[in-house]
Amino acid sequence: MNRLEKFYPLFPVYFLYGALFLFGQYTKGMWQAVALAAFYAALGQAFNVFLGMTGYVDFGYVAFMALGAYGMALTVSGLYAVTWLGGGMILVGLLAAAVFSGCLSVAVGAIALRLRGAYFAIATVGVNEGFRFLLEGIKLWGGSEGIVISSKLREAFGTDGASAISTFWADVFVFLIAAFAAFLTLQYMRSRIGYALAALRADEDAAQVIGVNTTKYKIIAFITSSALGGLIGATAWTLKLTYVFPAEAFAIHYTVEAIVIVILGGAGTLMGPVAGGILYAALKYGLGVTFPGLQLLILAPVIIAIIVVVPEGVIGVLKAKVRGTALEKFIV
Amino acid sequence: MRQFWIQFSGNLLNGMILGSVYGLMTMGLSLIFSVLKIVNVGHGAFMMIGAYVAFWMFHLLGLPPILSIFIALAVGMTLGYCFFQLVIRRLTAAAELTTLLATFAIGILLEESARFLWGPDYRGFSWNVGRIMLPPIAIIPLGKIYALISSIIVAVSLYIWFKKGRSGSAIRAVMEDREGATVCGINVDGIYALSFSVGIGLTVASGNLLTLFVPVGINPYMGGVYTLKAFVIAVLGGLSSPWGAFFAGFLFGLIENGSYTLFGLVPGIEPFSMTQFFAFFLLLMILLWKPTGLLGAK
Repeated sequence: MNRLEKFYPLFPVYFLYGALFLFGQYTKGMWQAVALAAFYAALGQAFNVFLGMTGYVDFGYVAFMALGAYGMALTVSGLYAVTWLGGGMILVGLLAAAVFSGCLSVAVGAIALRLRGAYFAIATVGVNEGFRFLLEGIKLWGGSEGIVISSKLREAFGTDGASAISTFWADVFVFLIAAFAAFLTLQYMRSRIGYALAALRADEDAAQVIGVNTTKYKIIAFITSSALGGLIGATAWTLKLTYVFPAEAFAIHYTVEAIVIVILGGAGTLMGPVAGGILYAALKYGLGVTFPGLQLLILAPVIIAIIVVVPEGVIGVLKAKVRGTALEKFIV
Repeated sequence: MRQFWIQFSGNLLNGMILGSVYGLMTMGLSLIFSVLKIVNVGHGAFMMIGAYVAFWMFHLLGLPPILSIFIALAVGMTLGYCFFQLVIRRLTAAAELTTLLATFAIGILLEESARFLWGPDYRGFSWNVGRIMLPPIAIIPLGKIYALISSIIVAVSLYIWFKKGRSGSAIRAVMEDREGATVCGINVDGIYALSFSVGIGLTVASGNLLTLFVPVGINPYMGGVYTLKAFVIAVLGGLSSPWGAFFAGFLFGLIENGSYTLFGLVPGIEPFSMTQFFAFFLLLMILLWKPTGLLGAK
């Protein structure tokens, strides 16, 4: 395997992201739909690092996105008057987002990763809901009223600058985060981390017996996935919507959507989240246009059917199809 | 001070009565988990169906919840059986990922169907059968007392069925050891179907009784809160013990109402949110230090 060959699997992934971006740029009125697809793809890509690689179901994943969103909102409302920072403020905000969600993930990981299976899923739901009610209960960070940063963004970047951030740059950041998450996923897959996690996913006890430090690798994947989720929350929510409300930011259905995307594409595959994210966004957007108000009623049985009929996902099926052919190196 | 104690004991009494319904609703979740090892994330949506059964039966036929509970039980068992045959049966050996998503999707399907059929509005009914005066502590509507008695009757009959009935014993055998039960000639698939439909039946029935406590709170999305509460209660009772769950329901009712009153004394915080926070805090602590539950046998 030469140096470049290692990165072959990223080609189709980046091709899809590039095509999506260009489609949004050059098709009139499609940018919002494309931004939605990019958000879902990024969400799947970030979530897949933990869920796909370890097989642990973090049902409270959205808490990390929420904390990232708060990290960005607090940065903007604290630093908007510091003029010399300029666009650097956004970078500080991204850093704060990653640190916020990273810290929470260390805390949660230390506690909840001792549990397995259903117990882990329930514990993470508990963390998500508990954290939200704590924020509202002690009125931290604006309590249930949340934080609104639109006026502060306008003050820092001017009216045009602020609207460019929330209608264009926020989405570009989401694309970049998705691409970065895909790159990290491949790096992990091709390193000791990936092999350890593959062993863990197959049989955690057996992996421990042969000397794999499962806790260490689980925590690495958990923190990476959470920090990426925090970045998505900071950009796709705070910068794009210019507000954070706890009731929305901690909404459990984002976790479920992330799971749907990962399963739709194929859990533990590199290309799965992109394919799943685009498919899911197209399905949701298309149903919203053709059957307004009924999209969930139609989507729910579709999801159930997919789980029952093709639990390995689109890319999982494709991977099995191309095995032994020249395309094998590209589809991972 | 005296005022506080009066209010506190009144709240505890109300909490305990509501706790009986909490216990019943969690028995369903716990039964399904202990037999099939599946966490029913769509739990609350089934309770919502029960609430609508109570509403329509009262509205159309004038049946009060303590009678329509039988209809709710039948509706629930039918729904449970259908979903088991269509979906769950194929997922009994699958990873948590798929079962969690599948049950959540079933929940969404139920919620959206309810909204499609009956609209998104809040509905309610009031069943006036008088009240019990316990001055100065509390005034308790008789309807709630009936709910308490009904849920105890349901729980006790389930207990007797489990201890004495043939199929009940078979369910206990599968709970303890899947493979061992198969070896003994128990039809494990049949037991799965039975437990799932009984579990859903209990859940729908508890939603039916719940309407006596939330007189105007019936709407398609009412269930989410109860799913989360049921998780906490199930963990409190040891997750795979339906009996633990029933008693943990009472305990949770007491904790919920007691801590609400206590948090109300602290200035500058939201007592409602803090009560919820405390519940989830409790959930984490128990999962960590005593995963078999406060009331778990082992």
